[in-house]
Amino acid sequence: MTIRERLQRCRVYFDGGMGSLLQKEGLQSGELPETWNLTHPDVLQNIHLAYMNAGSNVITSNTFGANCLKFDNLDAIIRAAYANLAAAKAQFAGDRDSVYFAFDVGPLGKMLEPLGDFPFERAVETFAESIRIADGCGFDLILIETMSDLYETKAAVLAAKENSRLPIIVTNAYDETAHLLTGADVPAVVATLEGLGVDALGVNCSLGPHQMLPIAKQYLTWASKPVVINPNAGIPHVADGKTLYDVDAAEFSDVMQEIAALGVHGLGGCCGTTPAYIAALVKKTASLPFVPPEEKHRTLVTSYTHAVEIGKEKIVIGERINPTGKPRLKAALRENDLGYLIREGLSQQEHGAHILDVNVGLGEIDETAMLTAAVKELQSVLDLPLQIDTVRPAALERAMRIYNGKPLINSVNAKRESMDAVFPLVKKYGGAVIALTIGDDGIPPTAAGRVALAKKIIDEAARCGIDKKDIVVDALCMTVSADDCSARITLDAVRQIKALGVNTCLGVSNVSFALPERPQINAAFLAMALEAGLDCAILNPNSDVMMGAFYSFAMLNGDDPRCQQYIDFATAHRPQPQEAAVQHTLPALSYAILKGLEADAEKAAKTLLQTTPPLTIINEQIIPALNRVGEQFENKELFLPQLLMSAEAANAAFSVVSTQIDVSGEKKDKILLATVQGDIHDIGKNIVKVLLQSYGFDVIDLGKDVPPQAVLAAAKEHGVRLVGLSALMTTTLDAMQETADLLHREYPAATVIVGGAVLTKRYADAIGAAYAKDAMETVQFAKRFFEKD
Amino acid sequence: MTPQVILRSAAPQELRYDKREAARYLGCRTNTPALDDGGLFRLVASQLQRAVSAKACYAVLPVRITGTRVDFGAFSLDSSDLAKNLAGCNAAILFAATLGAGADRCILTYKKTLPSRAMLLDAVASSMIECWCDDLQAELTAGKESCPRFSPGYGDVPLTVQREVLSLLDAQRRLGITLSDTCFMTPTKSVTAFIGLKGEGTA
Repeated sequence: MTIRERLQRCRVYFDGGMGSLLQKEGLQSGELPETWNLTHPDVLQNIHLAYMNAGSNVITSNTFGANCLKFDNLDAIIRAAYANLAAAKAQFAGDRDSVYFAFDVGPLGKMLEPLGDFPFERAVETFAESIRIADGCGFDLILIETMSDLYETKAAVLAAKENSRLPIIVTNAYDETAHLLTGADVPAVVATLEGLGVDALGVNCSLGPHQMLPIAKQYLTWASKPVVINPNAGIPHVADGKTLYDVDAAEFSDVMQEIAALGVHGLGGCCGTTPAYIAALVKKTASLPFVPPEEKHRTLVTSYTHAVEIGKEKIVIGERINPTGKPRLKAALRENDLGYLIREGLSQQEHGAHILDVNVGLGEIDETAMLTAAVKELQSVLDLPLQIDTVRPAALERAMRIYNGKPLINSVNAKRESMDAVFPLVKKYGGAVIALTIGDDGIPPTAAGRVALAKKIIDEAARCGIDKKDIVVDALCMTVSADDCSARITLDAVRQIKALGVNTCLGVSNVSFALPERPQINAAFLAMALEAGLDCAILNPNSDVMMGAFYSFAMLNGDDPRCQQYIDFATAHRPQPQEAAVQHTLPALSYAILKGLEADAEKAAKTLLQTTPPLTIINEQIIPALNRVGEQFENKELFLPQLLMSAEAANAAFSVVSTQIDVSGEKKDKILLATVQGDIHDIGKNIVKVLLQSYGFDVIDLGKDVPPQAVLAAAKEHGVRLVGLSALMTTTLDAMQETADLLHREYPAATVIVGGAVLTKRYADAIGAAYAKDAMETVQFAKRFFEKD
Repeated sequence: MTPQVILRSAAPQELRYDKREAARYLGCRTNTPALDDGGLFRLVASQLQRAVSAKACYAVLPVRITGTRVDFGAFSLDSSDLAKNLAGCNAAILFAATLGAGADRCILTYKKTLPSRAMLLDAVASSMIECWCDDLQAELTAGKESCPRFSPGYGDVPLTVQREVLSLLDAQRRLGITLSDTCFMTPTKSVTAFIGLKGEGTA
């Protein structure tokens, strides 16, 4: 019986702790436990054998930290780990067929980008190196465990899938609030891992059995795959002023008996547990009836924190991140201004979107690179699931790969080439996919025709091993002005497709194309479609009319307890009584900048543009207002965030005004900024950036911890003449000098200006750089520098 | 022997910050009238309290000092500054504390959208973790004679000591603190430190 079969048919026992047992045998603090595979094979073999005798089925190799970041002799370490397992099994007198060897994979000890500095693909490659070795050894499965970050877990699973065909079991480490340390909750982890196709999943480490019990319950609610629970022998912690220590084997196995009775499929231990714990656990649970895992049929997509379930409550998919018909977004994409995408995303989230569509298809840009960058950027700060929207399979694959969770995919259709391109990606990376009812002959004119195509897609997905829970059918909405019956046909199709037991989605605004007063048509159609069984509406969440219709429907449909959601929405959108206009004599734009009011500055700039030439606005309002704020800051009348808020307001005004300036004639002066290698303190550099931008400079920001060569390469690439370097710590002054020297040597056309807490004019002189004591001084310097031209 | 490591966490409302200290991080004079900011500090502090997940762990280690050699049993290092700090101590509390990844995520979001808010959050978060360390220190050393806390990176103690410190406390597993190649901690609002104790047994 393979381990996959066993997990479906009977309870599987895992082994327990390793580290504490090795310490008892003399492992020193700081010594790498994996080295003992080679130096103390007898100790390892005895531990493995003791676990087999205790009743463990899955015996884990001593390879928790066996990766190339820690070991040069990885091959020897892993092979020895396997040999120790094999030697123990040879001595085992019990049923050897019930013993399985797990190649143990623990976290790398590195935080992945964007929170840390370790790239996702490097994590995949690091795991892969160990897994390739293990794959040749004869292990029965790969056990990825103690993972406290969803993204790193995904990297490990991908590495396992790409380098081995062994079954994969994943257990994550949660805190007492039932979240991973980087924020994911149980449904998010379960959906992501089941999407990736792991064979079993669960929880280990960090918590004792008492704290793990409620998490086990959650797993059984969400998971369709077998669930594995491997707790610690308690956690030493302080509660109510008392220090509590480990639970003993008797107490441990009592709680594990409760956990087993919930219907958990795999049971074992983690830190602090010993063969005695496992033996007690086996004894108390062996006779309990086994409940096989069952498919939950829940459609889930996730962000890095939480899952959104489709088919339960009605879902809004925000459609604003799509360049079609949006010149400002097009411009942002061309200029690589991803901050704009983030603001679009955040504003849709504030307005009630549950999922965000991301489409960056624009003729002249590299869509694969842009979509990957956009997804990375959005998921670094936004906790909504994303709907990856592209017609290019290469772009789709890259974006799905680096996605932190289980995405919604937009889209597949009933054409052979579309299904052949998309389904293998869904199978590999996980995702729910929107299925457009388009066939070889286009969109069928009848509801029956669209239903037939929906069936075709569902069947083909099933052949590829994709359950219909992960198909969301879009019956397509055609404009009613072209055909009186088109809306009716779409609604009929939605109703019939829903009856197939799949979820549905629609982009609703197409229906009103070419008609006057479109929003009211769209709102009526939305309500009709939701009543017909629509699960997800793709719409503009910033439209009060649409969201009003959405919340009204939910309330009238009985989905809004005490009408709370609707009331919150409606009261937030009631026109506020106008506050008495603030008395001041300044022009509106200057006032908004002085007070740091971003939205007001933008509005004032728009109004001014109707009567005033753009350059006049910049020279007579924006710049003087900024100068005045700068003076107040230098006189310590303002503090730094206030200065920045003014700069942000000026930026907002500037970006409105600059759309009216003929960019072809106007070349903005470029400045490159970087915090030097080894330094991660970039507050100062960011202030300088905002201020420079508000004065209209084009700032290329390389970020923090930037190697000298990268500064040089970027300076050359952009033809930059002024390079700003910052450093906060004395220890990174060397890196500053190195960077300045390299620029002087290889690219003398650039002038270097330096700043930061530890820098002095004298030091700057010594390395041949200009010096600015703060952000304002940097601006003054830059103005003088470029005026000299 | 590996020392017993004890875990702690704090409810968000237990976390306080020092407005003057935060202002100092922002480069303001602490008596500037600008500190009367119309509730801006309070606003960002409550944002942070929603984002953080404050966790700490600590162990009590024996200390033996020979010249500049400071020996904690589990590991030792050479540092005249730390030796001076711990002079007369026979034990030390070694601890790590963090506000968690949520604080970093919160700051990152604003860095990309509203940098002025990011700076405020950054400064208040720095003050918040320091204040929590002060509170923990006060609690752990109550009724004991102790020394000021001393962190890796102070004086002649290199940042690379973080490797031993975090590994001894198993802080990656327990708190999610990881180290970059250059020994910076992530989450960034994390602190490790030694607190010397005089006249202690090391149970």
